[in-house]
Amino acid sequence: MATSSQPAPLTSRRPSGISRRLLLTATASAMFVTATACGSAVNTAGGSSSDGLITLSMQNPDSRTQDPATWQLVQEFNKKHPDMKIKLEGQPVDQHQQRMTIAAQSGTLPEIFWVYDSLAKTMVKNGDLLDLTPILAENGLRAKFAPSMLAGFRSGTVQYGLPYQALITGFYYNKAILDEHGIPVPVTFDELVAAVKKLRTAGVVAIAQGANNSSFSVWAFLTMLDRFGYESKYRDILSGRAGYDNPDFLRLYQHVEALAKAGAFPTNMNTQTYAQAVASYTSGKAAFLDAGIWEAAKIQKSTVGKDTGFWAGPTFSDGVGNQKLVMNVPSAPFVVSAKVEQDKKKYAAVQAFIQFYYSDAGQKILVDNAQPPVTTYQPDIDTTKNSVFTAVLAEASRPGWTSPGAQPDLVVSAATASAMYDSFYGVMGGSLSPEEAVQNVQKTIK
Amino acid sequence: MNWLTTRRHFALMIAPALIIYSVYMIYPILYSLYYSFTDFDGVSANGFAGLANYRQMAQDDAFWTSMRNTGIVLGIALFLLIPLGFLLAVLLGGRVKGSGALRALVFAPAIIAPILVGLIWIFLLDPKIGLVNAFLLAIGVPAHPQWIGGPTLSPYAIGLVYLWQQIGFVLTIFYAGLRMLPRDVMEASSLDGASRWQQLRHIQIPMLRETFGIVTALVVTGVFKVFELVYALTGGGPVHLSEVMVSYMYHITFTTQQYGYGMALAVVVFVVGALASAATFLGNRRKGEAR
Amino acid sequence: MSIDSEVKMSLPSPPAPGDTPPAPRRRRRGRIIVSATAYLITFVILFPLLWIALLSFRTNDTILNHPFSLTHLTTANYAQALQTLNLLVMYRNTLILAVVSVTIGLVISYLAAFALTRMVFRSGRRRTQNTLRFYFLTGLAVPVYVLLFPVYRLDITFGLFGTYFALILPYIAVTIPFNILLLTGFLRDFPEEIEQAAVMDGAGLWRMAWKVVFPLMRPVVATLAILNVIYVWNEFPFAVTLINDPGLTTVSLGVSQFQGVYSVDYGAMMASAVLVLLPQLAIYAAFQKQVIAGMTAGAVR
Repeated sequence: MATSSQPAPLTSRRPSGISRRLLLTATASAMFVTATACGSAVNTAGGSSSDGLITLSMQNPDSRTQDPATWQLVQEFNKKHPDMKIKLEGQPVDQHQQRMTIAAQSGTLPEIFWVYDSLAKTMVKNGDLLDLTPILAENGLRAKFAPSMLAGFRSGTVQYGLPYQALITGFYYNKAILDEHGIPVPVTFDELVAAVKKLRTAGVVAIAQGANNSSFSVWAFLTMLDRFGYESKYRDILSGRAGYDNPDFLRLYQHVEALAKAGAFPTNMNTQTYAQAVASYTSGKAAFLDAGIWEAAKIQKSTVGKDTGFWAGPTFSDGVGNQKLVMNVPSAPFVVSAKVEQDKKKYAAVQAFIQFYYSDAGQKILVDNAQPPVTTYQPDIDTTKNSVFTAVLAEASRPGWTSPGAQPDLVVSAATASAMYDSFYGVMGGSLSPEEAVQNVQKTIK
Repeated sequence: MNWLTTRRHFALMIAPALIIYSVYMIYPILYSLYYSFTDFDGVSANGFAGLANYRQMAQDDAFWTSMRNTGIVLGIALFLLIPLGFLLAVLLGGRVKGSGALRALVFAPAIIAPILVGLIWIFLLDPKIGLVNAFLLAIGVPAHPQWIGGPTLSPYAIGLVYLWQQIGFVLTIFYAGLRMLPRDVMEASSLDGASRWQQLRHIQIPMLRETFGIVTALVVTGVFKVFELVYALTGGGPVHLSEVMVSYMYHITFTTQQYGYGMALAVVVFVVGALASAATFLGNRRKGEAR
Repeated sequence: MSIDSEVKMSLPSPPAPGDTPPAPRRRRRGRIIVSATAYLITFVILFPLLWIALLSFRTNDTILNHPFSLTHLTTANYAQALQTLNLLVMYRNTLILAVVSVTIGLVISYLAAFALTRMVFRSGRRRTQNTLRFYFLTGLAVPVYVLLFPVYRLDITFGLFGTYFALILPYIAVTIPFNILLLTGFLRDFPEEIEQAAVMDGAGLWRMAWKVVFPLMRPVVATLAILNVIYVWNEFPFAVTLINDPGLTTVSLGVSQFQGVYSVDYGAMMASAVLVLLPQLAIYAAFQKQVIAGMTAGAVR
């Protein structure tokens, strides 16, 4: 910095100080006003006009292409209810979560929105969400749900959420590729490892996975956690009576390591996104894809649609408890801002939308977009045109097979869930040993 | 001339900037500082946590990894970006035909949104669909390094992409500096038979000391703000091994909803960044005074 | 200060770099090598952009699965991008934000920088000025993600949420530190003779600041204007957090529109990236001389 040649042309004749006091006062009072204003609860919730206009905020920036079922439902609703209007908006999932959090802090939540359940639970504690029990009591809406679809979104007596879509997850597999290499569809874990080894020798990517900005994409492995007794253990783990680093879970992670060493995963697993993993499967470059029912429509339309089957995942001879498990649970919930109660027209609109969403007409729109119904609605499905969708539904309703109550990551804190995803991807990519993986998850539990 | 220095005038001139800056930059820092001492979960702060968040940080391996990676990026910036930016400024400084256009083109990466920079480089560095490895394969190099996604190279790859992004900016500052060197000195030394290298070594570099100072200061503050690039390129992965300080803070704050801890990380990022830049500024000043 | 500060004083008419005398003949071969190296390096630096431009003409599927085959070029991505994005609205909003925030930001930064450097007090308050300057420069180290929460709440409190000012104020605040850095750097060594002459002519403070000093600051102000516009053009975290009205969407949000939870349209992303980039490159190319002149004047201190 040039400091040695300070010019001093504007020296005043009368000694006069800088108005430090004035400045300090101005700045300090500005900051004080700011601080007090922010400290007190903000009451200017998004628009107080009672026009029945409500906002539905989702985890996709362009629902029309990325979540057509929701988009179509909103279009239909707006057509049916000219006196009400739903504005559908959204952001990429990370930014969406971030926005909903900030909005909750400021009391400016949209009327209806999608969030991960861990954030919803935090919001309930803070009194930000509406109890939907009265809405469920009308028109016999509650009877339309299997109890397990609602149980996860209850806190004490408060029903704060409703299932947005259903998660049926597992492995899609390409029958043509398996046949070509003489591999039968695996049932047990050992058969899966054997299949992987054959595929590896043939130079085919065995299981398409993508961790970049999508570390949550380990659905099939979360089900495996349930095959090692997660369901019966997790309450003890969360309360400190047991550890995530127990011998059973460790055994599972050792199996995952063996699978990785057999060459199950693509070399660019850590740099490709989940979307890229799906693309590699739909173009016939991978034999298995770890995903769920939401991909059925996309796979159907692709070149591998007619060859695709669906598998709930491997059973383990050294597993814990029931091995005949298929993940069929509600995904993250729809929740409603508690502020809606203060505005009759908005409340009526929210109520009408919920009634419509879970009506048979609404559920049919889900099914038409290859989403399973979340109510007990029995759809008519053209099984030949929708072979992939049908295959997934068939796997989910296999006689003698049951579903865990919830997906393992959805019953723990966001920090633990994130560590669970990392633990699987860490072992799959070889950057964590099974021991480190389970300990990393354990460290997040306080 | 009294009007020039009345308190009122000074206050009026500085107030708008001071108020907006204080309210929208400094107040948030204080706000973060406050929440870094709580167990804030993003929606409600339940209790005062004292120094718990800072203790957690000390024991958090991923945090130290993010520090180390930021250090790697800083190292690449200081020891590669600045020298290369300078050499490029010399190279594109004059006699090359169309050098003006070349300088404009080299600046292009600096005006692209950082989030796009990360996205763009996925398609170059990805071990499978990336162009770099395809090129290596084509020219017969057997090794296929995991530039990104592997456990070791990722932070270096991030540093190199940062270099790519910033080099045009650094070049422009150096070029501006070079232009101001007195022509007659260069001409005289040229007639004296000084080689280009001697001119560079003994005339231009010493005379550009201040320019090097400002570039260093800007690069240092820039490194502590790198985020979008990492977010898009590696997502901090695999398992947080390529996380830098800001991206790790983002992960903790927004993905795992540990706001109190995230704000503690933010405070550390700010303090480390501010100290590093203050050190650079002071270093510059001292050098300036020494002359 | 030594020679180079004298040279800086002679601004704003620095020597052009091209008019050095012709090199002796024996250096011709050297020059060819130098030129070739320069072109090659420029090409290498530009290559990633060219690659992206090329990818934007290929389908999402081929980008991911056959990245190196150059057949099957299509403009479908552009059609998709234009259909999804309301480019006119986005450009309009970005332009409004850029013009308003950069203008206000520069005016108030200039006033502050002037007060911090050109007002000299006999009673020795230089220290206060330096402290305030340092206070402003601290902002250079603030990572914007720290600001998101508080700024959101400030906007709500002030009733700005849903208006352009929700973004304009933070944009101004974020650009102030760098503006002050460059402006004070230049103003500190501003030739005092000019000011003294103006004072003799009876110029008031306002006239001094705007009619005498400001015109000579044009290069550095132009540089800052361009760098600030680039910042606003690219700004993502504030925009995605503080805009909830599709009518206020900015270009920086364009690319993220193609990123769903389970699906990413890379082809459309690339195409929209190119659509966002081209005007930026055009703007920069048009004003490049200004940037360099401004850097010469201010940044190199």
